[in-house]
Amino acid sequence: MKTEMNALAQGFVRCHDCGCLTKIPAANRPRHCRLCGSPLHARQANSLQRTLALLISAFLLYIPANLYPIMTVTQLTAGEPHTIIGGIIELIKGDMLPIAILVLVASILVPLLKLLGIALLLLCVHYRWQVDAHKWTVMYRIIAFVGRWSMLDIFMISILVSLVDLGGIARVIAGPAATAFAAVVVLTMFAAKSFDPRLIWDNQR
Amino acid sequence: MVYFNERDLCYNSIYPHNNSWTMSRIELDACAECDLLLTPARPAVGDKARCPRCGYLLQRPRKQSVARTFALSLTGLILILPANLLPLVGIKVLGNTRDGTLWSGVLTLYREDMWAIAILVFLSSILVPLINIVLSVLVSGHLYFRRPNRYLPYWMRWLQHLEEWAMLEVYMLGIIVACVKLASMADLRFGFGLYAFIALLIVNALLASCLDPYLFWRRIEQLQHNHRHEN
Ligand SMILES: [Zn+2]
Ligand SMILES: [Zn+2]
Repeated sequence: MKTEMNALAQGFVRCHDCGCLTKIPAANRPRHCRLCGSPLHARQANSLQRTLALLISAFLLYIPANLYPIMTVTQLTAGEPHTIIGGIIELIKGDMLPIAILVLVASILVPLLKLLGIALLLLCVHYRWQVDAHKWTVMYRIIAFVGRWSMLDIFMISILVSLVDLGGIARVIAGPAATAFAAVVVLTMFAAKSFDPRLIWDNQR
Repeated sequence: MVYFNERDLCYNSIYPHNNSWTMSRIELDACAECDLLLTPARPAVGDKARCPRCGYLLQRPRKQSVARTFALSLTGLILILPANLLPLVGIKVLGNTRDGTLWSGVLTLYREDMWAIAILVFLSSILVPLINIVLSVLVSGHLYFRRPNRYLPYWMRWLQHLEEWAMLEVYMLGIIVACVKLASMADLRFGFGLYAFIALLIVNALLASCLDPYLFWRRIEQLQHNHRHEN
């Protein structure tokens, strides 16, 4: 009942870049938007497969991102590797609770909720769950908006390594988890971008 | 496993873009996130038009959107230089001082063989913000002076796609967290670069609220259309 009002059901394709509508082109017609030249897709091409592939890669990298040290702080001679969680515990011990919560949200909760959220969206579309599509679209929007804030940890490390490089006194070195974590952030951002929320609406009866 | 078959719905292209204007403009809109077919609303300046079904923000026209975007992006272009080159924060420990700029973090990471992160930080805090500002100067400048250009739609497309990869505000949060961590072990000094950086952040935020993609695309469409008819 809901899908009849869709542009696609009425024979129109919306250009994803400039938003103008085109009649669904016949098989031999050019399939580019007449205004901006981007390829026309009624729905994003292979949205589910692409999102799933990105999601699985992100999930696998999420494990080393949390197990390996994200940075090593060397003071005088003693080197101290920190994992993401270790860094947060350090902040709590240093009586910096608000910042600790900020880092906890940005580098643990957000990536985890993003991975779960995208997985749920995929399941919802694949199994054609009958859901409140509006709520699920809002969830998609939150996932897409919140992703970039996880880069907080990476930027913080980039500032620390350049500042704390005082020869033998103190040094901060980025660890292997930093690369894995950055990859998780980028992959989940791409996963959110390749998911097409219109697929949720297509399945509602 | 059988996936929802999207192949029927997709229009993969083998054809180059031929700019044909033979098809007349369809005076309808569709929602980007739920595909609801809509008749275009004409919201008043300052108002917002949302999709009645999913709440997607369709239009948010602003007063003098093009002129303001042009002015703001020029300001941003000027601010980007000091924000990149001048020191953001410096520390002083036991007589040693060090200043950190946007570039020094990237270079140190690169030297420590963390090239993947170095590239990512370079892209999201230096290159993409710069490209975005240049693109919005180009787009709004051409619209402001009503100069048609065949690359105008391409610039606008790139501007939209790159938007989320410019992460200056996240970088700012990173600076704050790093300063809190360092405050106990060192004296912090804030450089002029930081003020330029904060000003750039504000300009970027204003830009994002000024630039209504819907309005810009319609203006681009008009401009290209008139140009074609004159020739
Ligand atoms: Zn288009
Ligand atoms: Zn909608």
